[in-house]
Amino acid sequence: MADLRLEHLSKRIGGHSVTHDVSLSVPDGAFCVFVGPSGCGKSTLLRLIAGLEEASAGRILVGGRDVTQVPAWDRDLAMVFQSYALYPHMTVRDNIAFALRSARRPEPEVAAKVAEAARILQLDSLLDRKPAQLSGGQRQRVAIGRAIVKQPKLFLFDEPLSNLDAELRVHMRLELARLHRQLGTTIVYVTHDQVEAMTLATQIVVLRDGRVEQVGSPLQLYDAPDNLFVAGFIGSPKMNLLAATRQGDRLVLPGCGGQSVPLPPLAALPAEGVPLHLGLRPQAISATGAQSLDLVIEVVEHLGSETLVHARAPGSAELVTALVTGGRTLSPGQPFTAGFGTAALYLFDPTGQRLR
Amino acid sequence: MKPRMTLRWIVFAFAAFILNFPVIATLITAFKGAGEVSRNPSLWVQAPTLENFATVLTVSDRLNVYHYLWNSTVAALIGAVLPMLVAFPLAWAMVRRGVGRGVLFPLVVNLRALPLIIFAIPLYMMFSVAGLLDTRLGLGLILAIVNLPLALLLLVNAVAEIPAEIEEAAHMDGARTGRLLLRVVLPLCRPALITTFVFGFITAWNEFLFGLMLTTREAVPMTVGASFFFATSGGGVQWGLAAAVMVVAALPPLVLGLVMYRRITGSMVAGAVKG
Amino acid sequence: MTNRRENAILAAPLVLFLLAILGFPTVLALVYGVSDTSFQTLTSPEFSGLANFRQVLADPTFWQAAWFSLRFGAITAVLQCALGLALAVYLAPLVRLHGWTVAILIIPMIVAPAMMGLMYRLVLHEFAGPLPHYLYQWLGWSPAFLSPAHVFKTVVVAETLQWTPFAFLLFLTAYQSIPEDLREAAAVDGTRPWRRFWTIELPLMLPTVWVALFIRFIDGFRVFDNIYTLVGAGPGGSTTSMSIYIYETFLRRGEIGKAMAAAILLFVTAFLALALAQRLTRKAAR
Repeated sequence: MADLRLEHLSKRIGGHSVTHDVSLSVPDGAFCVFVGPSGCGKSTLLRLIAGLEEASAGRILVGGRDVTQVPAWDRDLAMVFQSYALYPHMTVRDNIAFALRSARRPEPEVAAKVAEAARILQLDSLLDRKPAQLSGGQRQRVAIGRAIVKQPKLFLFDEPLSNLDAELRVHMRLELARLHRQLGTTIVYVTHDQVEAMTLATQIVVLRDGRVEQVGSPLQLYDAPDNLFVAGFIGSPKMNLLAATRQGDRLVLPGCGGQSVPLPPLAALPAEGVPLHLGLRPQAISATGAQSLDLVIEVVEHLGSETLVHARAPGSAELVTALVTGGRTLSPGQPFTAGFGTAALYLFDPTGQRLR
Repeated sequence: MKPRMTLRWIVFAFAAFILNFPVIATLITAFKGAGEVSRNPSLWVQAPTLENFATVLTVSDRLNVYHYLWNSTVAALIGAVLPMLVAFPLAWAMVRRGVGRGVLFPLVVNLRALPLIIFAIPLYMMFSVAGLLDTRLGLGLILAIVNLPLALLLLVNAVAEIPAEIEEAAHMDGARTGRLLLRVVLPLCRPALITTFVFGFITAWNEFLFGLMLTTREAVPMTVGASFFFATSGGGVQWGLAAAVMVVAALPPLVLGLVMYRRITGSMVAGAVKG
Repeated sequence: MTNRRENAILAAPLVLFLLAILGFPTVLALVYGVSDTSFQTLTSPEFSGLANFRQVLADPTFWQAAWFSLRFGAITAVLQCALGLALAVYLAPLVRLHGWTVAILIIPMIVAPAMMGLMYRLVLHEFAGPLPHYLYQWLGWSPAFLSPAHVFKTVVVAETLQWTPFAFLLFLTAYQSIPEDLREAAAVDGTRPWRRFWTIELPLMLPTVWVALFIRFIDGFRVFDNIYTLVGAGPGGSTTSMSIYIYETFLRRGEIGKAMAAAILLFVTAFLALALAQRLTRKAAR
């Protein structure tokens, strides 16, 4: 077990910068999730930590030891790959034992540790099968077994759940959370799925174009996004982002038929007439509220206890999504009053930075 | 639909008969007695006998078929295994690290298209100096060169088909290059290695030119030995015996080839299309 | 990185093997190619400049052999590909149901060409051979297969019958890899099989046709084993291929320098032809 520190880590391929000056500290025992859209450099970052890619600049420290120049096989880390990457010619037992045998551990110890890993992952009955004879979920567990058996300093997971069907994904998510609690080992986990990030992580790193956008706990990111990108990326359904400009102490929304709302509390006021972005989470909208926008319902999605309402001001461009409890009687064409409190509003400047 | 299939069967039977006619005729002749051969050249054996095979398989001054078979076996084994040994590490380095992709790969693969006679003469001279003339090892080394292009090609294709993630997983599991190659890449290349071996063994066994030029007594392979039998039998060829010799000579690659025909057909295509 | 050293180690076996078995002989070939040597003076070659090359180029047998090899390679390649293509397309439905039929058809390929040459000696023998026997019985007449008048046709047919299976196999694979959708789409569009072959299947198999022609030409051009065991240099040198010419010059006549010069000429020609062919295919691929 160890903590992880990245210092000014960069990776260039050709002239193109894949990860750019990433500095990050992951405390011991954390479940750290790298999240971002595809091509944001999250996988590259993970592979840099793993030693599968060579850093162009910067340092990687695992448990205080600088491993930047250490080859993958000497870093004492374990990784679970998206495709599982099980050795197809070996049994489950030999797959799990491979790392221990690489380290030339005595056979009795290998057997004991494999048995222990199999017990934790409920693989006991499958040990003599080949990977081809396993289901997707079982393969996933073998891949995890291969990682935990060597008791590495860090676990690295590269989109481990993306090859599973929706139901199994939810199940494995719970399994991973349980495993993390049980083992306490630091985990670095890559996903493009913000739900996975929110549910698993103790620390989320949001990446875009090879840069860190924001680091924090799931709720920190949800409640206090630093910028437009994080605000839009974290949370489901996505935060409504509306065009806005300040006029006096109000914000005019040209995309909502010119309706206006009061300014949220800010340390400094933005200049008048500058195009701003107003953020409002669908969950913050209800039928009642100190403030409101008058809209007309366009599409209604009934989820059972909740209803997802997509509405817009008559003749206007921007669609506002609201997640309301109940709402069984709502239907398209009806007028909809989107109510909310001023405290639920987020304001972003033209560059996307949050105004506080 | 049915009559069309019947017509196809007929065409197949006809093609199989024409293409294999020399083989069939030889096989039949091998069962004709010494007297019958000159009387009856037809494809029907009046009095089938094993006497030709008995003679061929009996060691005599004129013909020691076991010696030829042994020479062919040893030389063909060297010729089949050696190329895999030298090509395997390079094939991996080529696919994963681009080693030799620019020069070495085209050079080796193009060897396949060059007339072998080009190298035969200088090799003859080199072997005579190195004491490799008329040795099984010397012959095996040349056969290895003959098989090298296809071995490299098949192994490069095989390595390229291994997902990179599996090798990365092995690295994460603490395996350095040596362990990775032996424990992960090599076993995963097994189908290609078998194919390479089968194909290489057959090619090496069937090779004639180098056997003819580089051996005289001790290391004469079966193909050349069989032709000796034709050339040296004074007063006309004893066709029954000759046929039996050819059957014996052709049998090992034929058995291997028919048992593994799926592998040969596969490698044929890989070798042809990627080359 | 340390990868550098590791790569060198990984490449070393093959490179050393090549250098040892082919590198040194190549140097030898060049030395002897410009030397006056016989088996008696093997260890003390005498420099003779380009005399060997001049000798080779002035030798009518050399040109006869070159012409033979070219003609033989071209004719057999075309015949094999035509037969192989027809068989592959026609028998494909049968092969799909009964895979073993392929094994029967590829037997000639597994038999050593040298053995095949010997087998034809038996098959064509005027007293012991079944072919003349049946021709006499049915037609009352049989050609002298190995006479100067017929020997070229005979070796062409022998080569064609042995290697048609190779072309067959290539075309069969190419044919089978044409997506079934395409055939079904054509069938639904009302295209009849014959037209389907010319408009859809053949164009899709065309790259394979070039590859097969190229390979078969190369193999026909450098032919040695089966012709040598069947008729040797042939009556009046009529079946002397390039390979047989070099072999005879070297072992029979002991003209080492001349043989080497011919080999070098052949090497250069083959290498240029190969480079040209690859350039053309690369262009075609683009």
